[in-house]
Amino acid sequence: MGFLDLENLTKRFGDIIALDDVSLEIERGTFVALLGPSGCGKTTLLRIIAGLERPTAGRVVIEGEDITRKAPEARRLAMMFQSYALLPHMSVLENVRFPLRMTGRESVAAQREKAREALALVKLDQLADRLPRALSGGQQQRVALARAIVSEPRVLLLDEPLSNLDARLREDMQIELQQLHERFGLTTVFVTHDQEEALSLADRVVLMRQGRIERDAGAEAIYDDPGTPFAADFLGAANLLPVTPGAEGASVSLADGQRLGLEGAPALPAGRDLALVLRQEDVGILEEGAEADAGRQTLAAEVVAAIFLGARVRYLVRVAGTELRVLGPRQPVFKPGSQVVLTFDPAAMRWVHEG
Amino acid sequence: MVRRFPPSALFGGSAVLLVILTFMLLPLAVVAISSFTASQFLVFPPQGFSLRWYGEVVSSTAYLDAAWVSLVLAAAVTIASTAIGTAAAIAIQRRKLPFSAAFSGLFLSPLVLPTLIFGIGLLIVFSVYGDGPSLAAIWVGHVVITVPYVVRTVMAVLADADPFVEEAARTMGAGRLARLWFVVLPQARSGIIAGGFFAFNVSFDEAVIALFLRAPGVETLPMRIYGQLEFSPSPEVAAVSTLMIVMTVAVIVLIERFLGLARVSG
Repeated sequence: MGFLDLENLTKRFGDIIALDDVSLEIERGTFVALLGPSGCGKTTLLRIIAGLERPTAGRVVIEGEDITRKAPEARRLAMMFQSYALLPHMSVLENVRFPLRMTGRESVAAQREKAREALALVKLDQLADRLPRALSGGQQQRVALARAIVSEPRVLLLDEPLSNLDARLREDMQIELQQLHERFGLTTVFVTHDQEEALSLADRVVLMRQGRIERDAGAEAIYDDPGTPFAADFLGAANLLPVTPGAEGASVSLADGQRLGLEGAPALPAGRDLALVLRQEDVGILEEGAEADAGRQTLAAEVVAAIFLGARVRYLVRVAGTELRVLGPRQPVFKPGSQVVLTFDPAAMRWVHEG
Repeated sequence: MVRRFPPSALFGGSAVLLVILTFMLLPLAVVAISSFTASQFLVFPPQGFSLRWYGEVVSSTAYLDAAWVSLVLAAAVTIASTAIGTAAAIAIQRRKLPFSAAFSGLFLSPLVLPTLIFGIGLLIVFSVYGDGPSLAAIWVGHVVITVPYVVRTVMAVLADADPFVEEAARTMGAGRLARLWFVVLPQARSGIIAGGFFAFNVSFDEAVIALFLRAPGVETLPMRIYGQLEFSPSPEVAAVSTLMIVMTVAVIVLIERFLGLARVSG
């Protein structure tokens, strides 16, 4: 039993099944990402934990206590909303004090003091007397974060914490969240549709699809070995190449007859309908006829498109009728239509079952 | 923006605007200008210039009493109809109530109800089941016709409010009453003020229901003006009306100043 247990949660909205028998055990102090495309049920799951949604079936248990029927205001959890949901008519300090005021356990002075400390943590103590609308989006979000942690909640819930921020602010916030997590060890569950956000913040990534858990693993593990074509695709590995195992089990062949030896590659799983997973950063690109380094696999390919990214060039290449994405160096640039050789370390090869 | 319209449309639009403004503002201007007349009777254009009629109004007990009755009545109407209208708007807006659409229609229906018929009906009801005409009866009638203004303006601002603020307040431990006080009422605030302003003005200005339900010896300002006009068209009437216009404009300016009129009129 974990710190926060989600047991067989199902949620139906009319005929739509938003969550289909989802179970999850979350240990104290972990940083969990619920990742998936829109409509996968991740937000519903977060709202059920918060108590803003009642599950059709299943239980939510925290520290051994069943809170499924408990009102959100009695759960002692905190949630940071995507729209920040600050109280527009209250000053920044009053916003942050609000959860303490609702609990009413300390004196007003003590509440103010705590709110100031929380604001200092997100480096906004000097803006305490402003109204939220006088703050930038990034500052408003930090106020929302301070408000979420001020009451020392048992679980911190975050809804798309980085999605409304521009690239620079995202990085700041990312660091902020990580530091807070390290410092206080708050059990944190957040929802995102952005694999980068999930991988960069979470210790554990729960990938969801159509109301079910598709894959549940550590951030590095899930990136390294997605395990399913959907996971591979969603985590940005994206390169899936259908293969047919050879009769002798020592090689696989592609649709166009190219063969790949399996020396140094992870063991081929049993069964048919296999696909080779290659992450774009693991694949090198060479001109036609060039010699690859010893021990590296090679595949013949044709360039479909080249996109200049500054430091690198992203290529869309076609191998045996399947399009793959590959990152190449700035020089040389291969023009669309040119024949190239893809090379990769056999140890970087991963397998998934298709379909 | 303006440049996108063809000249003919621009001309047509301006002409319509001008006509509307003329019909709305000209009568007010005529009243205001005539109030400065030096003559015994209400005439336009005024003869001479004098503040005499303002003096007459301010020193007339009949007018002052009527103004006081109207003020108290309008204040009482405003309090009741903002309370009822706000509660109704919140309930309808959340659609938690069964038959929300029907309730919405019901609360807005006095806007289309002819006041004349409503006034007669109210008179009959109060005569049969109550003590007949009274200031309290007028108050009831005014509350009924002003509630829709509050319902409308409050619903309009609530429709624009962020629904997640209340959910956030829930996760922070705010119960039902705390959420009403700290989240919903502040969100509805500008709508409540605007609706209250409409309610006050409508009641302060209302003559039909007040005439039907007038009790002997109790007069509201519109009734007093009407009575005065019937009896003799004294420039006093123009002076009182001008004062009323000035008061209304002052309130509008205050609301605009502190809330922004665009925001409150939804």
